[in-house]
Amino acid sequence: MAFQMTRRSFLQASASAALTTALSGWLVSGAQAKSGFVRKPFTAPGSFGDTTTVSGSFCEMCFWRCQLVGKLRDGKLVKLEGNPKSVDNGVSICARGNAGVKLLYDQDRLKYPLKNVGKRGAPVWKRISWDEALDECASRLQGVIKNNGAQGIAMFPHGCSATYPMHYFEHVVGTPNVSEASFFQCRGPRDMAYLNTLGVQADESVDMPNAKAILLVGTHIGENIHVSHVKQYLKGLENGAKLIVIDPRFSSSASKADIWVQIKPGTDTAFLLAIMNYLVKKGAYDKAYVQKNGEGFDKFTKAIAHADLDWAAKICDVPAAQIKEVADLLAKNAPHVSIHPGRHVTWYGNDFQRERALACLTGLLGAIGVKGGFVKGKGPKLANVSWPNIAGEHAEEFALHKKAEKHVFSPPGTPTQMLRDAAISNKPYPINACIAWGQNPIQTIPGQQDTIKMLQKMDFVMVVDVMPTDITMYADILLPELSYLERYDYFVKSGVQWNLNDKHQQYIAPRTPLVSSLSADHQRKDSVWITNELAKRMGHAEHIPAATTEELLDKVLAGGNISLAQIKKENGIHLQPGSDPYGVSYPVKFFNDELADAGYPGVPNYTPVPEPPKGFARLVYGRVPVHTFNRSQNNVWLNAEMPENPIWLNHETAHKLGLKSGDRVNLVNQDGVISATTSILKVTQGIRKDTIFTAHGYGTKNPAMTNAANKGIDDQALITKPAVDPETGAHGMRTSFVRIMKDGKVLNIPV
Amino acid sequence: MNNSKSNNHADFYGFLAQSFRYPEQAWLGEPYFDLLDSIVQNLDLDNDTLGLRQTYCANQEGLEILQIEYTRLFINATPSVIAPPYSSVYLDQEGNLYGPSAVWVRRFYQQNGFELAGDADIPDHLALELEFIALLIDEHQEEVAEQFLNEHFRRWFPLFRARVLSGSTNKFYSTLLTLVDFFTREEP
Repeated sequence: MAFQMTRRSFLQASASAALTTALSGWLVSGAQAKSGFVRKPFTAPGSFGDTTTVSGSFCEMCFWRCQLVGKLRDGKLVKLEGNPKSVDNGVSICARGNAGVKLLYDQDRLKYPLKNVGKRGAPVWKRISWDEALDECASRLQGVIKNNGAQGIAMFPHGCSATYPMHYFEHVVGTPNVSEASFFQCRGPRDMAYLNTLGVQADESVDMPNAKAILLVGTHIGENIHVSHVKQYLKGLENGAKLIVIDPRFSSSASKADIWVQIKPGTDTAFLLAIMNYLVKKGAYDKAYVQKNGEGFDKFTKAIAHADLDWAAKICDVPAAQIKEVADLLAKNAPHVSIHPGRHVTWYGNDFQRERALACLTGLLGAIGVKGGFVKGKGPKLANVSWPNIAGEHAEEFALHKKAEKHVFSPPGTPTQMLRDAAISNKPYPINACIAWGQNPIQTIPGQQDTIKMLQKMDFVMVVDVMPTDITMYADILLPELSYLERYDYFVKSGVQWNLNDKHQQYIAPRTPLVSSLSADHQRKDSVWITNELAKRMGHAEHIPAATTEELLDKVLAGGNISLAQIKKENGIHLQPGSDPYGVSYPVKFFNDELADAGYPGVPNYTPVPEPPKGFARLVYGRVPVHTFNRSQNNVWLNAEMPENPIWLNHETAHKLGLKSGDRVNLVNQDGVISATTSILKVTQGIRKDTIFTAHGYGTKNPAMTNAANKGIDDQALITKPAVDPETGAHGMRTSFVRIMKDGKVLNIPV
Repeated sequence: MNNSKSNNHADFYGFLAQSFRYPEQAWLGEPYFDLLDSIVQNLDLDNDTLGLRQTYCANQEGLEILQIEYTRLFINATPSVIAPPYSSVYLDQEGNLYGPSAVWVRRFYQQNGFELAGDADIPDHLALELEFIALLIDEHQEEVAEQFLNEHFRRWFPLFRARVLSGSTNKFYSTLLTLVDFFTREEP
């Protein structure tokens, strides 16, 4: 449009009576916003541009929680580094940790409470006030409680910020229907198997720096980056540890291995049983340790007596001689061997048994409490402060797996599959409200169509997150959280120095903000504030354990005789003398009575998993070093590093199909589900012919994630038939079989 | 005389800055639309400000439509925000907030004696930049304002405006974008 008038002439004319009147009328109305500026004389910054270092906090680009410092230039966070005071990650952080800066300033971040005035799945957002948002959440949740009871609320939490609201909903509101991805789609089978074998949490408590041999089953350190853990692993290799890697794929760990066992996927437990049977028969195990600490060893040896090397060789599709070689190498270096428990272990729906086998092998080798073995650092004590448990009994009574007498060895919370089935079917009781807090169930839980069905039938869906992840599209009310860089958190990272062989030290590092959150550009809040405000509106004000996150943290820290103020003075990490973690022994339940009584195998056993149908290969997935599954996909730096997830295909297969590296392909699963997007093919000798590998967490669907949307293939969408681990109720997610589709043509995978 | 005239000019920019804040009943009243009418009439624009007044002034339903549109255009949206109102998104390669151009803007504010009110405010929000121009003009620093427009504002505003216009048919914002363009464009 061409103006008739110049600005100059307009402004000259602005003395015109009507305009002057209108202008003064507007000025008098006083409806102008508060100024975004204050006056401040300028002082020229020095050559460092007023760069300051803020110490404290820890990373949440993944959940290893490396301790940080932030470099701020004039209030803007310009760089993150490891905290030099850290005895854990030290000055190092990984690519994702570095890229946290780009999460802070991601243009797609959630900024204000939003109300969905469109439909679930196709939202239209209206910005609303916190009061309106919280009032609505409270009244809608109370409506569900009134009609269906507290158990009518399902919650999917993840991460530090979700713990406090999770405790509120479990212990004060009284719903048992809380399902954490970190258990049921990740660590659950491991944690429960070790608890029920060695009596302690597994974590990743293997003393790799001081090991003479390290066994990794599927674990791919290097592609899986947790800084202090990688340091432990590399120190072990540097010190000459022999590395054994069991993996159908030539992972980064396999590339460093002394022995790489290219096992057929799904058969690891058979492999482990054969090793143990061989060691028992040969008498090459730690008899003293077993005699002193073993329980049910006779029943164990009898139950695995069938598992000879040839039996396993056939099942695992590897040479018997190689299994023997692994067993001999472990025996030769015992007890200084690290039998790695793994981390993301929800593979086939029989994972508890595999993890039990790993724990038993650890015990059999006497690799407990000794240099290089399974050793737990003795961390500092802190207080346990949270909501009072006033409704726990109610929750217990309605726990789905307890009512059904299933999944007796479930980790805390309700197995996701049972929860979702109940919500969809209204049996045994209706579940009509859903809360996702820091978790993206669209991407974390297999069987996406069922998850969507569950969300669509709810009376109310509330989502709290930092980014507009896929789940946020299904929210009725969407609440924006502060990021880990701007908030205190109800979590204190604590532990011991990364190498147990070094001077014994304990550390305490609470999460504190590295940058201010004071801004007119958003109204994000932390989860303690959000939960407290919700609790007030739901009639639970009297139970609020602390008014602010700082207060809550101080109460937790008081248990360690330290305060937040003191730790801030100490640059974010409090160090104190530790103690020698070696010399501890744990009982080893080779045969577990409780398991047997509950109808599960008392001795680790191998259950075959379904074979790929003709023309299909098994889809397995793993991590890449620059992403934390789906969580980091939108980060502009990380996205630039690895925007897509290459599809690994065996080179001979590719040759037969006329495919080459760089081809764009879809995957099609056994149920005919075609990946919504394509990705690039990676043709390699480093994978078995019956296996296709890709990285997990790609293919974000929400277009509000500008960088991530529709990049790479969403493997979760292809996991339409997840298995469920009988003991724990955790999902098995390497249960899909796929073919490759190129240019619309589906190609059979030759045998 | 000069003085009052100059203050006058500043207020037009203040008015535009206000217009790109989140729409609320408190400021979208009769006085706001009186001024909008008056400016549009003085400019001989054929924009239908009467229609805007009827739709959005003291009209809860209309206000909600405008709020939803503001959210969709500038805050969070599915499929995606049409036009984040920050210069970094248009000028800096990564499309993140608080990129180099935002750092430049903040330093420019500081050099001229202004600091952002909030510790973590993002400097290059459209409303802040317009308010800054208002503050400069109010202090008779027209030359500095012109420098700011020339070295920064005019580099991104047209890109921003084009994105809003290609993704929205909302008459309120298209009218205001026309006004911002008029008040910030380069003139011989």
